[in-house]
Amino acid sequence: MQQVWPKIFARARTTPAPLASVMVLLLSLAAGQAQERSRLDEVLQRGSLIVVTLGTVPPFAFKDDKGELVGFDIDVARLAANALFRDPNKIEFVIVTSDGRWPAIESGRADMGVGGTTVYPDRAIRVAFTRAFIDSGISIMVAKSSGIKSLEDLNQEKYTVANLNNPQMADRAQLFFPKAKIITFDTPSGEFLAVKSGRAQALQIDTPTADYFAATSAKDFEVLPTLLTASQNNAIYLKPGDFKWWLWLDTFVSELRTGSLFPKYAEIYQKWFKKEPPPQKFYLPPAR
Amino acid sequence: MGQYRAWLEAYGAAFLDAAAWTLGVAVASFVCALLWGAILFFLRLNGGAWGRRAVDAYVQLLRNTPVLLPIYLIYFGFPLVGLLWPASICGGLALVLQNGAYICEIFRGGYKAIDRVQHDAAKSLGLMPWTAFRKVTLPQLLVHSIPALGNQAVLLLKDTSLLSAITVVELTMQAKVLTERTGAAYAPFLVAAVFYLFMVWAIEFLTRLALRGVRWR
Repeated sequence: MQQVWPKIFARARTTPAPLASVMVLLLSLAAGQAQERSRLDEVLQRGSLIVVTLGTVPPFAFKDDKGELVGFDIDVARLAANALFRDPNKIEFVIVTSDGRWPAIESGRADMGVGGTTVYPDRAIRVAFTRAFIDSGISIMVAKSSGIKSLEDLNQEKYTVANLNNPQMADRAQLFFPKAKIITFDTPSGEFLAVKSGRAQALQIDTPTADYFAATSAKDFEVLPTLLTASQNNAIYLKPGDFKWWLWLDTFVSELRTGSLFPKYAEIYQKWFKKEPPPQKFYLPPAR
Repeated sequence: MGQYRAWLEAYGAAFLDAAAWTLGVAVASFVCALLWGAILFFLRLNGGAWGRRAVDAYVQLLRNTPVLLPIYLIYFGFPLVGLLWPASICGGLALVLQNGAYICEIFRGGYKAIDRVQHDAAKSLGLMPWTAFRKVTLPQLLVHSIPALGNQAVLLLKDTSLLSAITVVELTMQAKVLTERTGAAYAPFLVAAVFYLFMVWAIEFLTRLALRGVRWR
């Protein structure tokens, strides 16, 4: 052994720069693996909730005319802060792009995430989700000038559909219009620009977002009547492995959707979607 | 480490494909940018006062704007005038336009570093302008320019990641797509980073090789 070590060190000096950098990256990852106490205790001790969210998906989470972060999912997060601290403003939002969500919770930068985020089995391997707090379908928006009236129309080689870079849209494109060409963007604004500039004739988007945009730019866009899916589970997500914190959040969502917080849920649902939420239990009437 | 291996097995092929795109766009753009930079430099040198002014204005404009701007303008703007070029061509063109400006400046710097006496000496030896350029100016120009050109190639390679904004599925976009699918926070970007590292390393190696090639004269 005594002879081997100096040799290894001698080699290490000549290790090419790329290899050395890779090793540093791997080491810094390994350092992040240490186990810590429940995030719930940390949140309570801190006295505020840190939430990672998106800023570009109306009406879930977006900046309004005044530049304020608003939306249905933002209100859900505020209700969580209210349940924890009796104050909806004891909250801090971290706004990221869609692929910045997972690092933000994995690294512990945020306690939880919410904002147009869909439960997906591929994702659930590495991200923990609560139960869903809203069904959000996926709609197709088409350029009015394209003359596309149905999914069957769309399924032709001459058409291009703009997607976001999430798995739901890629898989649904395969399923519903495999013949159309797919181009993939990392923001909804890219999708809309693509249709406006004529690079694509249609785009996939969450139904509430589609309705929102159709209302604001009705002359250019049309929402196809057929939904690609009637139900898509959007939920709160968090770092897996912290049972206490997950249990609290899941209980919160359960209370929100079917229990003591349902009146407040109905209120924000009405505010952002202009309609009554689905009934809290199948045997109860839809009203609050 | 186990999760990284499983991850690589599932998605490694997609990454190789994306790496090929990154490399393809980078190499093609750099070759075209070299040509474009040389043309600009030639115009600046021999195009008279107006040629010089035009090239300087072009260089100022392209050098002082973020390259994402021409990328967006070409990709989303050209369809409005009926040009539906593929995304990789649009992005590559934007990279060529900007890097051409930089490369023109690199050539200019390399040219200025050549002592005036060299040109006079070539003239007094009775060399024709073209021969003087080929035998005296060009070798020294290359010696002065190659390290900076290598640097520029590295910058261009990294700028290809911006093409992810316009649907080119190169390394960065592939990392984004896979991180979206799997919820893996780091692995996709780590793999992409390793690819970039090795590509940069290859560029550095080629630069050294090229420099040795011209120094030999």
